Parts: sequence; structure tokens; C-alpha cells
Amino acid sequence: KMEYKLRKAEPRDVSDILRLVKELAKYEEMEHQVTLTEQELLEDGFGDTPFYHCIIAEIQGANSSDEPKVVGFAMYYFTYDPWVGKQLYLEDFYVMDECRGLGIGSEILRHLSNLAMKTRCTGMMFVVAENNEPSVQFYKRRGAEDLSQEEGWRLFRFDKDSLVKMATPPEE
Amino acid sequence: MDFSIRAASLDDCKDIMRMIMVSRHVRAARNLEQDGFSKNPFFHVVIAEVPEQHRTKEGHTKIGYALYFYSYSSWKGRSIYMLDLYVMPEFRGKGVGKALMSKVAQLALAAGCHQLNFTVADWNKPSMDFYLSQGCFDVTASLGYHCMRCEGEALEHLAQP
Repeated sequence: KMEYKLRKAEPRDVSDILRLVKELAKYEEMEHQVTLTEQELLEDGFGDTPFYHCIIAEIQGANSSDEPKVVGFAMYYFTYDPWVGKQLYLEDFYVMDECRGLGIGSEILRHLSNLAMKTRCTGMMFVVAENNEPSVQFYKRRGAEDLSQEEGWRLFRFDKDSLVKMATPPEE
Repeated sequence: MDFSIRAASLDDCKDIMRMIMVSRHVRAARNLEQDGFSKNPFFHVVIAEVPEQHRTKEGHTKIGYALYFYSYSSWKGRSIYMLDLYVMPEFRGKGVGKALMSKVAQLALAAGCHQLNFTVADWNKPSMDFYLSQGCFDVTASLGYHCMRCEGEALEHLAQP
């Protein structure tokens, strides 16, 4: 029986975090979009003001002398709405294929929901691709509302190039 | 029309509150001062101001705002999420909205951010058209991303052992 444990990510985990980020992106056929580096993950997650937080799921090897293996993670941060207050935003959530069905995903979600409540967040938010049926069902089964479907929310984005254009003042 | 854009300070709280209440049709914005203007703010605001000669009949010179906070993309790294962008109706069509967004973009780039995200309601066609004309793209339409939320009882239930 595979034993696993959840813990807060540490600086030494950044290469595993990036590995899992890329695995998840690959699953969504977006691996080429990942430009984030281990250096950025280190500075942005473990500096004075972290931009994100991570919990890690690791399994013990077959022998007690084996290094534990990082097999899942969740990346999250806190967002804020003046009307509803703090929210926990779940940016990425992934368990390696070979470790599914052990309850790791549910345990991560339970841990995050508990954390959301302890930190007085009024909700937990995230995005899911509509064609990712297993994930959509996973979340709907647990009571998540689809704000895009129910309230017409659309996520809009300015990428780096369009940000630069927008930041440049117009010619007088 | 002359106007200026700058980062908001504690003195702007009352005006920000006033505009939030109008823009979102709500009666109050909880803890704005504490959450936005203490040592570790949860969010940041930029304000649009007009000179005295253009003040509204109620005497207001602060006529627009953008409220944002830092977020993170697992693909790109540092990002900004813009929660609110509002210009008082009588000051629209004069480039104030564009200027507020330009300021947020400048601050985003200065902080090393790679993208700016926000949500728009699909029934709000004027807003959608405005944003698309500024060079952004509709992630929900192109990637099929849906915004989801777990709150109230669903969140409590999820937190149970």
C-alpha cells in the first residue's frame, strides 16, 4: 500500500514543482506555453513576499532508505474582492497518473478548503477547461459552481506583448 | 479634458469607496482601508483625477479607479489580476479608462509581471468591445476556460475530514 503525505513546499522542491507544472500543461496540450523557470519559482515563492504557495504530496519509496518521491502538488494564492473579501485561488492542482485513485487529490482539496476556512476566505476559485470532462465532473461533484456558465463570466487576458503596447503612452 | 492618473493613497479611500458602491451597486465595501492601505495590502488602486474646474456638481475630482492585485501563473510566473475598472459616466469617452489601464500595465511590467488577467460578464458588450480593442484576448472563448468557485456549504463540506 502506497503511503503518502502532504506538506508545505520548500525551496528544494522547485525542480519537482516545475516538472509537475509541465506534466499538467502537457496533459492540457500546452507544454510549449510554460516559460516559468526554477529560478523564478524560487524567488517568487520563497522570498519576502511570496506570489504563490504550494503544497506537495510525496510517497515513500519501497525501502526506508529510498528518497521520497514528489507525486502531486497544488499551487495557490490569495485574492481579494472588496465586496466578498478574501478568496483562495487554486492555480494548479495535479497528481501524477500512476498515483491516481489513492485519494491524494481529494486530500489536497480537503487541506486547501480547510486552509481557506481557517484564513477566513469566503470561497475557493479556479478555472477548468470545459473539455476536461473528468476535472469538470470532479469539481461539480464537490459543489463547485461554474460562474462562466451560470453568470456569463469570461476570463480575458493581456499577454506580455499587449501589456507593453498598453503601457506605452500614445504619440501626442 | 485634462486628467491625471496616480497610485491611490489612504486619503483616497472615501472616494474609492464611493465609486465601488456605485460601480457594483452595493451599499458597502468592507474593510477597504485596512485591506488596501495597511502595511501588507491585499490589493492596490490607481485613481483618475480631474482639476478643480472639472469637478462634478457634488464636488468630486476623483472620477475613476482601477483595483488590482498580484497573482501567479504556473506557465508564465508573476501576473496581475485587475478586479475593477470604473470611470464615472459623465467622464467616459475621454480616454480615462485607457489611461487607467495603461498605468496598471506600467506598474505590472515594473513589477516583473508577464500578463494581466480580468473577467468580464458576457452580457456587458460595451466593456468586452473596449477591452478587445485594447489588445487582449478572450481566454474563455479561445481556450474554453470556465471560472469556477466553491463557497459556503460546499466549501465547508470539502473541508470535512
